[in-house]
Amino acid sequence: MGEYKSATLDHVFNALCDPTRRAILARLTDTDARVTDIAADFPISLNSISKHIRMLERAGLVRRSITGREHTLSLNAAPLSEAAMWIDHYRRFWEGRLAALEAFATKPQKRKHK
Amino acid sequence: MNAVISPAAVVVRRTIAADPETLFDAWLDPEALAEWMRPGTITKTVAVVDARAGGRYEIVMHLESGATVQHTGTYLAIERPRRLVFTWLSPHTDKRETLVTVDFIARGERTEVVVTHEQLPEHEKASHTKGWTGALDRLVAVYAQGE
Repeated sequence: MGEYKSATLDHVFNALCDPTRRAILARLTDTDARVTDIAADFPISLNSISKHIRMLERAGLVRRSITGREHTLSLNAAPLSEAAMWIDHYRRFWEGRLAALEAFATKPQKRKHK
Repeated sequence: MNAVISPAAVVVRRTIAADPETLFDAWLDPEALAEWMRPGTITKTVAVVDARAGGRYEIVMHLESGATVQHTGTYLAIERPRRLVFTWLSPHTDKRETLVTVDFIARGERTEVVVTHEQLPEHEKASHTKGWTGALDRLVAVYAQGE
């Protein structure tokens, strides 16, 4: 994973570490939505919602299309693939380590000379 | 940290026929660590451990080629024999610190070891208070199926 990807990952996880932004993403899972509709769903100002949306856009998790005055947001899950790779690597790593830990801890002669 | 699992966390568990103390100590004894912290392609692991909260560790894995893979971190909590929390930095974390929590749960004569590896220790405090909801689990699941 290079530097570019690392920066992407930073944006993705920064974007994900806020409950409002996660809620926005969750809402976009099923269907695209207009910015104004999303703003109406949350008890915070349009200004704050816009900031959250910009962070999601920066992370590449949300795409905006503009038709006339209508801004429509859609979900782009691709940046999550980096997270998925990370998860996959470490799942395999820790599964292997715990198997080795078991072998170590249950090996009779090892235990005796500890 | 109770059951606060981010969608970007790895949780791996294994129930082992040993007591919690034995298993816990295997994480902090450098010789023990060097023995089991050795994935298949690694010929030798060298571990240096300063086993106290705030202390650092270094695990260097040697590849057949002679190259080494370095893992370092700081112990954040050492609660023998129940819980061990440390940061984890390696080439696979893009050289940033991630967070590993190991829980040792007594199950009769055996012990369940649960490793939770999360991505961003700088959000550790945030995750304590706000938590990560399961809202994105579905999103990740959708992604995993769809792409």
